[in-house]
Amino acid sequence: MDTALLRLENLRTYFYLRAKRAFIRSVDGVSLHVERGETLGIVGESGSGKSVAALSAAGLVSAGPGVIGGRIELRSNGVARNLLEGLERYVRVEERDGRVMAVEKDERGWRRHVETLMHGVRGKEIAMIFQNPRSALNPYSSVGSQLVETIRLHTDVKGEREAKERAIHWLERVRIDSPRLRFDNYPYGMSGGMCQRAMIAMALSAEPSLLIADEPTTGLDATIQARIVELLAELKAETGVTTLLISHDIAMVQRLADRIVIMYGGTVVESGRAAEVLAPGATQRHPYTSALLASIPRAEDIRRKSHLHAIEGEVLDTINVPRGCRFYDRCNRVTAAIRDQCASLEPPLAEVAQGHEVRCWLYPAMREGGA
Amino acid sequence: MMMRHYYQAPGRISEFSELPLWQRAAALDLAYVGYGLLVVFAVVASYLLGAFGWLPADPQQMNIELLNAPPFTPGHWLGTDFLGRDLQARLILGIQAYFLPGLLAVAIALVGGSLLGILAGYRGGWFDILITYFNNLLDSFPRLVLILFVIAAFRPDIYYIMVVVGITGMPVIANLIAGKISFLRAKSFIEAAHALGLPARTVILKHILWYHCRTLLVIQATLGMAEAILIETSLSYLGFGVQEPTPSWGNMVQAGANYLLQGNFWPSTAPALAILATILGFQLLGDGLNNLLEGKRWQ
Repeated sequence: MDTALLRLENLRTYFYLRAKRAFIRSVDGVSLHVERGETLGIVGESGSGKSVAALSAAGLVSAGPGVIGGRIELRSNGVARNLLEGLERYVRVEERDGRVMAVEKDERGWRRHVETLMHGVRGKEIAMIFQNPRSALNPYSSVGSQLVETIRLHTDVKGEREAKERAIHWLERVRIDSPRLRFDNYPYGMSGGMCQRAMIAMALSAEPSLLIADEPTTGLDATIQARIVELLAELKAETGVTTLLISHDIAMVQRLADRIVIMYGGTVVESGRAAEVLAPGATQRHPYTSALLASIPRAEDIRRKSHLHAIEGEVLDTINVPRGCRFYDRCNRVTAAIRDQCASLEPPLAEVAQGHEVRCWLYPAMREGGA
Repeated sequence: MMMRHYYQAPGRISEFSELPLWQRAAALDLAYVGYGLLVVFAVVASYLLGAFGWLPADPQQMNIELLNAPPFTPGHWLGTDFLGRDLQARLILGIQAYFLPGLLAVAIALVGGSLLGILAGYRGGWFDILITYFNNLLDSFPRLVLILFVIAAFRPDIYYIMVVVGITGMPVIANLIAGKISFLRAKSFIEAAHALGLPARTVILKHILWYHCRTLLVIQATLGMAEAILIETSLSYLGFGVQEPTPSWGNMVQAGANYLLQGNFWPSTAPALAILATILGFQLLGDGLNNLLEGKRWQ
């Protein structure tokens, strides 16, 4: 039985680059799911489409054409709802042999429809925290009043005084000391870490079923990052909130995530349980995952003053997506036997073990099941 | 003017933001605002005096024995005009001529301007273009001529005139608001507000208009009031505004000007000084508030 809280199916989010008259295929057929109560980590380099996938799920993509197809299914109170329900009538996609050639989209109609679908979902069911927390809070209003605003909007606490008590309670829960004093502080009077704590409080105060954390530690000091990760881990244990954690910081994802999805060039290249995907001795793993893991600076490397490992080549240009495997140009494990296949045909995502999927021609499971 | 700087070691959390505004401000701005507030207070108080009829003398009572009396004449503290009417009473009553109409003009300009600004800044697209053209159209057309058209088409009623003043004041405010919005929309806290599920109405009215544009609107209101007074008085001076015997500072200057060459400078100078002091007050208030409240927090 399908019990996933959030399920993306073949989600495609494109952007149009007017100067080049080309589409940026930011999210190109992503399917993933988040089980209730788990933390799913999405890992990838910048430009791999991980943030855009999350923003699409929250209906927050504003540039055109944006989401052009797929399903976003959110299960609340046992009922699954497609958050893209009925939106296909606003968009017409012209494809030629598997590639999108033109998109016609009624942006205004789409926007209006998304707003009605998202009513009561965004902020209430799906809450988000962002990178650079200091700029995510309104500088002209005190932290407390912003917190009170979301509490009164999303919970049945409507009275001014009770909402304030609840706000102070939440500030306390995100370990802000002297919350009563902080309540009246303005964002510019607080540190970045403290702002992120306040943002987390704002997101969680609505008691959402899904928390999307979009690179929550980016833009913070290194020492603060660890504290925020710690806080997220504690809150996860306390509230059991389902979390979609987006980061390029594998160490952080390792600490928090139950399952991991590795994204590259707008597609999922590997997914599975965190322990399995990141296990040091894992044999059947996507070359990109191996490269990502190798690029984590290790204490011994630094001690020996040896070179840090970078992944060779450039991040995939999502405008001119190759026909074959998207990682082919940078892959260092292509063998003569599969070279032609790699260059000409995109591998499907196939199971190499129970609940562990990899998109690579290297593994026999693929060749049998896929081609 | 001596510049004062305040440096203070933070003893408590974000001490700086808790320093009162008047301690952080430059003395000149405080003087501007202080004078401006004084003028506003005087105008409002005098308006109320006039509205309730508590005047030092009957403003319509003529006195043939005391024509063009100088100030400090017994019984007429500010002297009399060419018909021997008490100048002080007429000056106070003259405020009626612009007070409510001016407020109407300011209200129209603020509400209409904000609305257009929001539409231009938030919706953008052809709406933005339309508003820019509307703006250019009004800018390229002399305001006074437009007002004279309205007078010719309807009648010389001050409320009609002030509606025109309000409408022609809208583009400036719309521009300012649209600029603010397009600046703010790129900020992530507006995006975050959307992500937290706040309805668009709340984001626009509360987070953008109230938090970020309220000082701007107050400043524009004071400047708009100054403008409205200037237009009312100049039209009344020209004979298109408030008509005799109802007093207005503009027609008082006009009436007194006939006797200027005979050496009776006071009956037209008194209302002229009143106009000067009042408009200066509103302008300086707007200027001072602008320096105090705007553009500081982003730095």
